[in-house]
Amino acid sequence: MRESGAAFFTSLTLHSLAMAFVVGINLAIAFRLVGFAPKLPIAPLTRFYPLHWYCAVLILVSGLALLLAYPAKALTNEVFYLKLTALSIGLLISKRFQYTLSNLPEDEPVQNDHKQLAYLSLVVWATTICAGRFLAYTHNVLLASRFY
Amino acid sequence: MNSPWGWPVAESIHFLGLCMLIGTVGLFDLRMLGVAKQVSLTELHKLVPIGVLGYLLNVTTGTMFLSTAPDQYLYNPAVQSKFFFMLIAGINMLFFYATTATEVKRSEDSASLATRAKTMAAISLLCWCGVIICGRLITYYRPPYYWCLWCQ
Repeated sequence: MRESGAAFFTSLTLHSLAMAFVVGINLAIAFRLVGFAPKLPIAPLTRFYPLHWYCAVLILVSGLALLLAYPAKALTNEVFYLKLTALSIGLLISKRFQYTLSNLPEDEPVQNDHKQLAYLSLVVWATTICAGRFLAYTHNVLLASRFY
Repeated sequence: MNSPWGWPVAESIHFLGLCMLIGTVGLFDLRMLGVAKQVSLTELHKLVPIGVLGYLLNVTTGTMFLSTAPDQYLYNPAVQSKFFFMLIAGINMLFFYATTATEVKRSEDSASLATRAKTMAAISLLCWCGVIICGRLITYYRPPYYWCLWCQ
């Protein structure tokens, strides 16, 4: 992975593209739940979730490829675990939204717990993005060979 | 910008802005192309101001990058390609609002949308994906080894 520029770059690009779609879809649904575009029916928005899950798989596969390229760089950095935790919480919220919102009647007002979960979703996705960007700047170890 | 936090904070805001754009303009494009046909086009379009806010965040942070290290950006073929995709997306958007937006908002059924509207949606989506790809490429094509697409 590390020695092939094309493989590493392809993984990095696919990771960014998939992340943009996953975070984008989650932001759109969260913004709707917290009160933007109040006439936009919520249940049909869940039809974007299949694309979301395809992209989530792409994030995991490309993320694993990037981890294989520089395992020591990520695994010795606390920010990596913060990203992993925020990403996992974000995906769990997506799963919950997909199940609870898909049959929501059009005229039903947004429940308070959905609204609170939407705020949490906005925070965890922002954390995922920030942690991802900070990963490139906060590592202390690049290669495991440093230790021997 | 040259403080330890400057670049990562600006880059984080830059990518968040891009996600806001993809989550609103990108989803509107996908809807025009026939994804999630049950979603109302008119109502989905009301999320687009969030995408505009995201775009403004991108322009602001992008200007910060450019003004801090202009030589690393202006002579970088990935940046030049990114600007090209942004230009095409911008022209496409102007053309869309001038010719097709009213018709799209009237028509809730994507099957009945004109091929022109769908073509514009595809161009928009491809351009924003191109912007993301070129944005990722920037770090791999730093001057002085590369300085334009046509002089390798």
